[in-house]
Amino acid sequence: MNESKPLKVVISGPVGAGKTTFVQSLSEIPVVNTDETASEDIGKATTTVALDFGMLTLDGIPIHLFGTPGQDRFDFMWEILCEGALGLMLLVAGDRPQDFPHARRILEFITSRIAVPFLLGVTRQDLPRVWEPEDVAEYFDLAPEQVIGINATSSTSSLLATVRLLELVEAYDPFYAENLQGHYDFGGTVIKSVKKT
Amino acid sequence: MSVGKQEALQNALKSLRIAIPEVRGALVASTDGLPMAQNLSGNEDPNRVAAMAATALGLGKRISDTLNGGTLTETSVSGTEGQIFLYAAGNKGVLVVVTPANVNIGLVHLEARDAARSIANIL
Repeated sequence: MNESKPLKVVISGPVGAGKTTFVQSLSEIPVVNTDETASEDIGKATTTVALDFGMLTLDGIPIHLFGTPGQDRFDFMWEILCEGALGLMLLVAGDRPQDFPHARRILEFITSRIAVPFLLGVTRQDLPRVWEPEDVAEYFDLAPEQVIGINATSSTSSLLATVRLLELVEAYDPFYAENLQGHYDFGGTVIKSVKKT
Repeated sequence: MSVGKQEALQNALKSLRIAIPEVRGALVASTDGLPMAQNLSGNEDPNRVAAMAATALGLGKRISDTLNGGTLTETSVSGTEGQIFLYAAGNKGVLVVVTPANVNIGLVHLEARDAARSIANIL
């Protein structure tokens, strides 16, 4: 558990999905963010133009979190940030089904260029009227275990999602698993300690 | 954006290109990456250039913050065939200036910093 190679996780998704919030909820260091004033109406005052960067330690393994911008005009950043990533967390706001097609396009853009295992996170689960992860899985034609409900403002919820993503990474490909083996105790102490809180 | 503003930005870009004829292109983008005025000579996509300018400037700001460089005023990208200078135009805009590799950098800065100031005033 010492001198471990950091794992790179990328957080992507449409504008307003909660990417920056997710990184902020998880990071143990002050998040490096590149928020700028939004000049178009996107339902919030600022938007990410380059990346968010945060760090998290799970079972002694450093995890580097890279959040992407959401707008299509920044698609070059999706590609740059996903290089060398072990896992992709794609977020979509559960109360904005109109964003689902865009989320699907982002997913296709990234996975067609870089074969990276991903977890779809349906955010804003704290709201009363919100899509359930099961229904979103059906919409995206994904297995139910590849979709999870998240409240990105909660660090417990965000941490559970990250652990689930790392489990998917391990199951995805022997190559990835090899990179991870011995580094990370999947499904073990971390999940238990998270669930206790 | 109002027509008057748009025209004023175009004029600022035009006078910059007149002042430095070697300039290959110039563009003004909002800090969130939308093109506001352009004078590009090639077939570059202004939407893409604007987004990249915002990304570079945004990242430059954080680098400057982290290394105690103060408020970012400009950043640049140099290649064997050309150079790209990015100037903060107030806190709302970014000015992109594309030049050949062997340009007189001092002259470019002199004119472009002036242009960035007037663009900041327009915005």
